[in-house]
Amino acid sequence: MEMFLMVICMSVFGLAVTVIAFGAATNQQAQAPAAQPELDTVVHVGEGRFFGDEAARPVQPQVPVEALLLQIDSHVRLEQAAAESFLEYPTAALLHSRTVSPLVH
Amino acid sequence: MTRGQPELFRGLAQEEIDQALATGKRITVAKGAQLFALGSDADHLYIIERGVVRLTLPMQIRGRDEDVMVEERTPGQTVGWSALIPPYRFTLKATASMEAELIVLPREALRSFLEARPAAGHTVMLNLAAVIGQRLQLFQAMWLREMQRMVEQRCA
Repeated sequence: MEMFLMVICMSVFGLAVTVIAFGAATNQQAQAPAAQPELDTVVHVGEGRFFGDEAARPVQPQVPVEALLLQIDSHVRLEQAAAESFLEYPTAALLHSRTVSPLVH
Repeated sequence: MTRGQPELFRGLAQEEIDQALATGKRITVAKGAQLFALGSDADHLYIIERGVVRLTLPMQIRGRDEDVMVEERTPGQTVGWSALIPPYRFTLKATASMEAELIVLPREALRSFLEARPAAGHTVMLNLAAVIGQRLQLFQAMWLREMQRMVEQRCA
């Protein structure tokens, strides 16, 4: 009998502690909006940020068209010279020789 | 008439070369002057005597057509062999990179000259085949190099 009463007392005590704890917690939640500053719910995320590549890529300054044409000119000359070397001595190594063209690097 | 043998007439007797060149006329063009436009009728063939001729194709750069160099031709070389190959339309644009002296050969006059001399015609056609073949092989190699770079970029 004593054991039974003890279990009931413990249960009532545990229940009381739970109710108090719950009351305290819900009271804090109710007060929280007033205490905290309003948060901006709209998060602005860059278009390419999801994949990370666009955001990570540094913005390249636009090369003037004249400079680009000079680069293409130089590229064509270098490629022709490389192709001519290959035609003179056709080997796979000469065909795939590296270029120093600024258009490629 | 011309200094040295033009590549197109290599192997002909000097007398024949002079006769062939006599079917045309010598012109001097200023730097930047256009010899022919892309897609225009190819009625004339040009042999460069002096100066440099730039062959270009249009490339779209930032929404604008820009002339991009494909090849440069120097003295003794031929420009505009489309004049001898159907459908007789220029497939490039030619501009003088600097003041140039050229011999302009009208297609019909050159053709008549070569038809009347089959041996010379044969030699000229072989020379023409060499010019065309050289360009084909050159651009084949250049194309493959570009493809190789593309594949390397893809596989990187």
